[in-house]
Amino acid sequence: MFCEFCKINEANVHLIKVVNDNIEKLNLCVDCLKNINFFPEEDFFNDLTKILSKIFEVDIKIIDKSENSKLFDFSNGVENKKCSFCGIDLNTIKAIGKVGCANCYREFKDVFIPIIKAIHGSTEHRGRIPLQSSKKIKIENELKDLKYRLKEEITVENFEEAARLRDTIKKLQKKLYLVKKMK
Amino acid sequence: MKNLKTKIFEADNIHTILLRKAVKEQIIITTRTRIARNISGFRFNSISSNKEKKDIANIIKDVFFSAFSGKNYAFYNISRLSETQRRFLLEKHILSPEMVLQLYGKSLILKLNPSCQDKVVSIMINEEDHLRIQSTMPGLSVYKTYSDVLKLEKIFEKKLGFCFNNDFGYLTSCLTNVGTSLRVSIISHLPAVVASGRIDDFVKNLKKINCSIRGFFGENSEVIGNLFQVSNQVSLGKNEKQILDEMHAVCLNIIDAEKDAVRYLKKTRPAVVEDSIFRSYGMLKYAKMLCYGESLELLSMIKLGQILGILVNLKSFNFYQLISLLGESNIIMGVKNKIDLNDKNNKADKIEKIRAEIIRKKIFKDLNNNV
Repeated sequence: MFCEFCKINEANVHLIKVVNDNIEKLNLCVDCLKNINFFPEEDFFNDLTKILSKIFEVDIKIIDKSENSKLFDFSNGVENKKCSFCGIDLNTIKAIGKVGCANCYREFKDVFIPIIKAIHGSTEHRGRIPLQSSKKIKIENELKDLKYRLKEEITVENFEEAARLRDTIKKLQKKLYLVKKMK
Repeated sequence: MKNLKTKIFEADNIHTILLRKAVKEQIIITTRTRIARNISGFRFNSISSNKEKKDIANIIKDVFFSAFSGKNYAFYNISRLSETQRRFLLEKHILSPEMVLQLYGKSLILKLNPSCQDKVVSIMINEEDHLRIQSTMPGLSVYKTYSDVLKLEKIFEKKLGFCFNNDFGYLTSCLTNVGTSLRVSIISHLPAVVASGRIDDFVKNLKKINCSIRGFFGENSEVIGNLFQVSNQVSLGKNEKQILDEMHAVCLNIIDAEKDAVRYLKKTRPAVVEDSIFRSYGMLKYAKMLCYGESLELLSMIKLGQILGILVNLKSFNFYQLISLLGESNIIMGVKNKIDLNDKNNKADKIEKIRAEIIRKKIFKDLNNNV
């Protein structure tokens, strides 16, 4: 019997799925077994693929042909996590190749960072800042800078300068608090 | 001090001469710059409901009427336009293909510019992102188009909050646009690069420096008439000025590559190229019906023939102006004796016939003697 997918090799894996008296059969070769994602929705079969991968000593990967999903290649478990604002999950984002709302960028940040890095070669915005949030962001950036400098001064034991920096940081933090409160 | 001033002036001068030449030789045909913005507090258009889209359109409409009233701007509901009008806007690159698919809530703000029809400033509402502000100008004008876009963005920014994140900049529904969300696309006409067989290397080099190359009508479109759309791929990690500078430099390189190819062809005069030019000449002269793609291919070769000095007995024509007359909607809208839009078979035939006539009138001098 030939493999149902490549139709070249001999089929040496025979899977039979029985659900409510419906019987589905799959006859595959080991090579196709590596590349085909069967019954992806069912946890039981996820376990089965693990067992099979142990028996045949091969890595069974989920491979989808569309380009978008190549970018969205994440580990098991996060796919079903939903964005608390728009309700989209990562599987849907993967399928349509688009993000649901601004909040998705916050909630799925860890998943998006490697993808954005692959597209743009960077994950740091250096361009224009919106008028409304520019004040806040400017202060935040300055704070980041000062804190870094404070650390440096402490390591070289320049405490005089460090004390001065610490005071400026405190002032800025107060200012930031006020700006946030005003909003 | 005087010296310094004259030097700057000279440098400026060289620059403008170069630009003018590029327009004249029509290597860089148009420059289009666009930015994308999403209004905070709403879901992106990838999943938003019709009601949300309507709300977004209304919010933008309100801003439009308070800020733009009395100026030369117009607001259109896409669903209220006729199919021909929509097609016309699509052919002019004012609407993207996505804008004419699902019409609900989609609108367009257009700057009316009676004195200069080639310069188009427009805002697409409810496309992939809530707002897409874009400006198109003929020739190479990366900086000018961006300043137009920025002016409009600032007007909206005063009244609306945009989705923004400290790490990723302006947030868009597609991850490829985050950051500055700035995309500069130029359409270049490169018959000599193609004819000299250098196009593969050319495309490879552009891809190396993170430019994407597409056909005349953007994503997923074929290359017709040796027209290539080149745009920047990266929008994050660089500021706007860097992106504009890079794209400007890329354009100058494209101009150089085409000029170099022209020099090479003038010197070697390959028989294949000459043959192809004269075949195109014959086709355009005697064909009674021409489809859009074919006419672009033929005109591109004719233009190359003119540039190389092989075809001298022709009117000098502006390639871009001519091809923009040849779109289906443009022909339907411009014809005096009306085309019956319901009669599908005859409609296509008639359009192709008119297209062939337009081309003959525009490029051949001694029309009556030969046809």
